Amino acid sequence: MNPIGEILSSKEIIVCAGSGGVGKTTTSAAIALRAAMEGKKAAVLTIDPAKRLASSLGLKELSNEPRKVSVRKFTAAGIEPKGELWAMMLDTKSTFDSIVERYASTEEQVEKILNNRFYRNISGTLSGTQEYMAMEKLYELYADGDYDLIVIDTPPTRNALDFLDAPNRMTDFLDSKVLKWFLIPYMKAGGGLFKVANVAASTFLRLVKKIVGAEVLDDTAEFFANLEGMYDGFKQRARDVAHLLQSDATTFIVVTSPAEESVDEATFFATRLNGSGLHFGALVVNRVHPRWGDEIEVRDRQLARLQQSDGDGPLLAKLIFNERAFRKVTTLEDRNLNSLARKVPRHRWVRVPYLEQEAVDLSGLVLIGDQLIAG
Amino acid sequence: MHLDEFLAPKILIVSGKGGVGKTTVAAALAVVAARHGHRVCIAEVDRKGTMPKLFGATDIDYKPREMSPGIYGMSIVPDEALAEYLDVQYHMKRVSRVFTSSHFVDYITATAPGLKDILVLGKIWYLEQGRTGPQFDTIILDAPAAGHMLTFLSAPMGLSDAVRAGPLHRQADWLVQMLRDPRRARVHLVTLAEEMPISETLETMEVLHNRIQIDTGPVFANAVYPAHLTTADVKRMDEILDDGALDELTTAAEAVGLRLEDEDLQALAGYARFITARRAIQVKHLRKLKQGTQDPIVELPFLFTAGLALPGVEEIADSIEEGVAKL
Repeated sequence: MNPIGEILSSKEIIVCAGSGGVGKTTTSAAIALRAAMEGKKAAVLTIDPAKRLASSLGLKELSNEPRKVSVRKFTAAGIEPKGELWAMMLDTKSTFDSIVERYASTEEQVEKILNNRFYRNISGTLSGTQEYMAMEKLYELYADGDYDLIVIDTPPTRNALDFLDAPNRMTDFLDSKVLKWFLIPYMKAGGGLFKVANVAASTFLRLVKKIVGAEVLDDTAEFFANLEGMYDGFKQRARDVAHLLQSDATTFIVVTSPAEESVDEATFFATRLNGSGLHFGALVVNRVHPRWGDEIEVRDRQLARLQQSDGDGPLLAKLIFNERAFRKVTTLEDRNLNSLARKVPRHRWVRVPYLEQEAVDLSGLVLIGDQLIAG
Repeated sequence: MHLDEFLAPKILIVSGKGGVGKTTVAAALAVVAARHGHRVCIAEVDRKGTMPKLFGATDIDYKPREMSPGIYGMSIVPDEALAEYLDVQYHMKRVSRVFTSSHFVDYITATAPGLKDILVLGKIWYLEQGRTGPQFDTIILDAPAAGHMLTFLSAPMGLSDAVRAGPLHRQADWLVQMLRDPRRARVHLVTLAEEMPISETLETMEVLHNRIQIDTGPVFANAVYPAHLTTADVKRMDEILDDGALDELTTAAEAVGLRLEDEDLQALAGYARFITARRAIQVKHLRKLKQGTQDPIVELPFLFTAGLALPGVEEIADSIEEGVAKL
């Protein structure tokens, strides 16, 4: 059985990772659809889908819950899945809001945090937030137990590894000893800088005040004061997510193209997965140029004579010239892929060649799903 | 368009969706400017580290370093930019370990939205002003990928909202002026001739014009398959294939002493069909791009490579020169 088929028959969570522009989102959607075709109730959690892909999945806006792709859409595409496909586009901010609601002990605490200006600034932008919220959502969906399979697309990060580290980065920030050390005295001193006894703390606070102004500092201090008691919830959830990702239910699919940069990143990522106790399920190699037979041996002199001959000679010369160009790129791709094979065994690979059509609708996704199972 | 005009703004900001070849185009623009006699600095903002590799140089850091004659590279890291800012603005050296801790940077940049981006843009402003340190004629900013770039460029406008007075507010205003002056700064978007990158390019363009109000220049459509075959060629090839008249090609080959096996003919037809089909898709998307923007489009060829290296960058630079001359 090919790696994707194996994963579909044994796993409940699939995390698709890889660098930007390699077809991660399309791959995630195609896998979820494939599972639905086979009779599963599958959900795909996307982060940043292209408009047409989103609309073919029936996604018009960010949402916090998956929506079922309608039978009407399937019928229009001439598809009859035995199962169900659910899809959602992550809304980072409202996921964050709902976490605050869950861990806060009083209504008042919720209100205070949600209306805090510092919170409003960071809830969408603080580094690691999107990743943390994606994992949070994944955990919720899994814990609800409604789906046979959940496929999650990862946020576009500078490099694929950021996504593994990001949730910790966020919780570390919120729980920073440095911050508590400085801000709690500030709060206790009622916002008066000079009442803060700790010299280093007061230097720090004065500096921050100079740069961003007192108002901002007050907002921030208020936020952290209100967040007290909630860190434990955040951290516990981060630990639970980490356990889930390491469990037998989960596997990672690394998506790459044969281009050097993306291969380097995929290699690095696959190696890192193994080192982190995470299950590496498959490597999907997208955008591979097709290959036909071996290089045609033609001397430049013969090519020149063809160009000058009449009849189909010039056409043949162009065809050979074109073939040579493709041999050049396929040779380079093979070189990159061979170096990848030294780190990731080929029996875990699935190659998806360039299709002659683009997969932006449901029937296109079915085609990709077929390739993923066959490749 | 004459290159003088093309290279008139000192700051060229290059952006596009991930995986479209943004860094390659930024490097090629640097080569174009350097060939034109400019001293160039390429500033990378997201520590990808691919830029020095393109020029066969070792790593780059916060201090501009010559990667190839006339082309300098640097990596603008918010931590470093903050330290420099504190030093210049408040004469505050990094005495305490606190100021270098990543939490401090996270914290201080989280307090005010976009402060991190302001620090990076502020560094570009310093370079542009050239009051201290090396002087550059062209500064190329290898900007974050499109989505984040909009947040990045609108940071100065947003910050004057959050911080209403003081030096930071004033400095944010300087940055707004810099970005909105077409004689000083311009954005070049890079895209692939594919569905997703093009629709993202058009959306980005609209925000650049309406909200950020920054000038945009030619859009670079990267990795376009060259027209190895004309429409007539494809038509003739189809005739041959449809009629099963492959021996016509074999005959032409034999005339120059070339023996073509069946397998060879399959390969020739396969590659010809592939490039024709992919080009048709690309042309369709390029048409959509042309309809969607007033800006000219410069097509850059697919180089039939699968990695980055200086010879390729030089070739792209040639194509940019040719494309710009035709505008």
